[in-house]
Amino acid sequence: MAILVNQNTKVLVQGITGKEGSKVALQMQNYGTKVLAGVTPGKGGQEVHGIPVYNTVSEALENHPGINTSLISVPNFAVFGAMEEAIKSKTPLINVFTEHVPIADTAKAIALAKENGVRIVGPSSMGIISPGIGKVGQIGGEDPRGVFRKGNIGVISKSGGMASEVSWILTQAGMGQSTVIGIGGDILEGSSFVDLLLEFEKDPQTESVVLFGEIGGTYEEEAAELIKSGKFTKPVVAFVSGLFAETLPSGTKLGHAGAIIYGDKGSYKSKINSLESAGVKIAKTPDEIPNLLK
Amino acid sequence: MLLFEFEGKKLFKNCGINVPESQLVGVSDEIRINAPLVLKAQVLSGKRADSGGIVVVEKQQDLETKLQDLFGKTVNGEKVERVLVEEMVEVGKEYYLSFSYSTETRGPVMTFGSGGTGAEEKGAKSTAVDPIKGFNGEGLPSELVEEGKKLWEVFIKYDCELAEINPLVVDKQGKVWALDAKVILDDEADFRREEKFVERNLFGRASTEAEIEARKIDEGDHRGTTGSVYWDLDGDIAVIAAGGGGSVVNMDALIAQGGKPANYTEHSGNPPREKLKRLTKIVLGKPNLKGCWFVGGTANFTDIYETLMGFVEGLKELPEKPKYPIVIRRGGPNDKKAFEELKKIGEEEGFDFHIFGRETPMTSTAKIMVDLAYGHTS
Repeated sequence: MAILVNQNTKVLVQGITGKEGSKVALQMQNYGTKVLAGVTPGKGGQEVHGIPVYNTVSEALENHPGINTSLISVPNFAVFGAMEEAIKSKTPLINVFTEHVPIADTAKAIALAKENGVRIVGPSSMGIISPGIGKVGQIGGEDPRGVFRKGNIGVISKSGGMASEVSWILTQAGMGQSTVIGIGGDILEGSSFVDLLLEFEKDPQTESVVLFGEIGGTYEEEAAELIKSGKFTKPVVAFVSGLFAETLPSGTKLGHAGAIIYGDKGSYKSKINSLESAGVKIAKTPDEIPNLLK
Repeated sequence: MLLFEFEGKKLFKNCGINVPESQLVGVSDEIRINAPLVLKAQVLSGKRADSGGIVVVEKQQDLETKLQDLFGKTVNGEKVERVLVEEMVEVGKEYYLSFSYSTETRGPVMTFGSGGTGAEEKGAKSTAVDPIKGFNGEGLPSELVEEGKKLWEVFIKYDCELAEINPLVVDKQGKVWALDAKVILDDEADFRREEKFVERNLFGRASTEAEIEARKIDEGDHRGTTGSVYWDLDGDIAVIAAGGGGSVVNMDALIAQGGKPANYTEHSGNPPREKLKRLTKIVLGKPNLKGCWFVGGTANFTDIYETLMGFVEGLKELPEKPKYPIVIRRGGPNDKKAFEELKKIGEEEGFDFHIFGRETPMTSTAKIMVDLAYGHTS
């Protein structure tokens, strides 16, 4: 089954005529994902890798009503408009690859998405891959087969690079993945650990889940609360990074935008303590993860 | 970016918030306002009052001595170079008011409570604000609603991550004042903010030459990110790390193994080799290094050949050929081709390369680096 990306996934790429957009469209096609259309304002009528380009999302949807997923890969100054268009067209799943999105724009998009009953994954999301089935976004690059393998473990990661690294560690240990999601490392994210754990709970293919978390924010603590409340019942292994960052002055910018601490909130200790008290096994290094899943 | 108090107050003033009459002075400037006054050290660290950074001047004749005392001081590690001289406001009631973003509500929140240092712990409460409709004054006593709306305007107009007034004061005549300002700007919105602010350094020291040079690498070239985040640290192992997530994971691992990093830097996306070459020359331009660690996970789309060739080009151009061990761990597109070339160049040029691919766990090369750099034989 997997979550978010399955056999029925039909993708629209917003920003398809851009360098990254056209590259990722081809990557998705090569991995067997159906890419039905693309959007770039003012470039309607063109084609990219045989995929028709439209000026607006609604025009694309009129011609391809099957579209149920939009991948957004546009410059950061244009990303709010792109998100708004996709949300108002009620595209059920919107994956935002664009990085460096102003937090005010993300906040507005999240509020709009909630109103319209659609899901955003991202911004700064490397993508979503259900190995052997399909992928949305850059995750796995040109050849995901070398890193990802179909199986029973769900992976949710604030880091796109670490989503791949963790999956590769799992694959090497003979453990395949159901769906791997890079949720992005910004302060505000459309989908949090909790949102996706609830999806994995319903997914019969997924038997256990790996979380890659970082200092900052409360998404890890919220995941721990969900598990404690009994709403997520499958085994979870977590890795939390950022101990080093806590040795630097409060507010120092490094790593992801969300990995920033002001005061005591979102510290490494707070995350580890709450996850452990929820029965989550903590990996001290990423390569410990397979043993903790056994 | 965290703003100084005087910068934050300028933004407040622009949106109609009352701030006391003030003057920003350097060590030799003349003061035009008369006592009673408050002298406020312009440093970035919080809790200035507890560290002697805020001085009350009741009598005019004490002004000069107290001001010179403050200029000689270091507040929480920061040398006092500028002082905001402010007229005294008679405090009636004190409050805490801020707007920020909360991961719990995944949107903006208004936080309000009784003021003073540590207001957050004193039961200030946060309520969610609808980012589309904006702040309508809900949750504030009627006398503060107008100021609340003005602070919201600051928060949105200048793309802030935090706009905080602590204390927000109502004086005996009922007038509302912002006596302090803490503003954190969202760096991602720099492109649409007209007001520009000089780069600052939270380490309580001036930026190093390497930090300044590293940040120039990305200027005017949006292909990948390289050097935009670079901090000099006190250790002796130079680090060139990849990925916003993986870089921090690897720093954690290096420190856990007893390694002392000479710097923190990350590169991500798909930067051209020229960027890596420049970064390498900066990172390895430091004296007394004992090792170099080029480390990253299994990349999704960073071209490993290009980035590693940039690294090697940088190595070749160093004024002095590095004799210390260089540990490389990387995976991703074109990694095999990169490693073949690296081996060849390492032999030709006599670099002490230790090359690991995706089959070696990323963080396990932290121990290898530390053992080689510090001559452990275990």
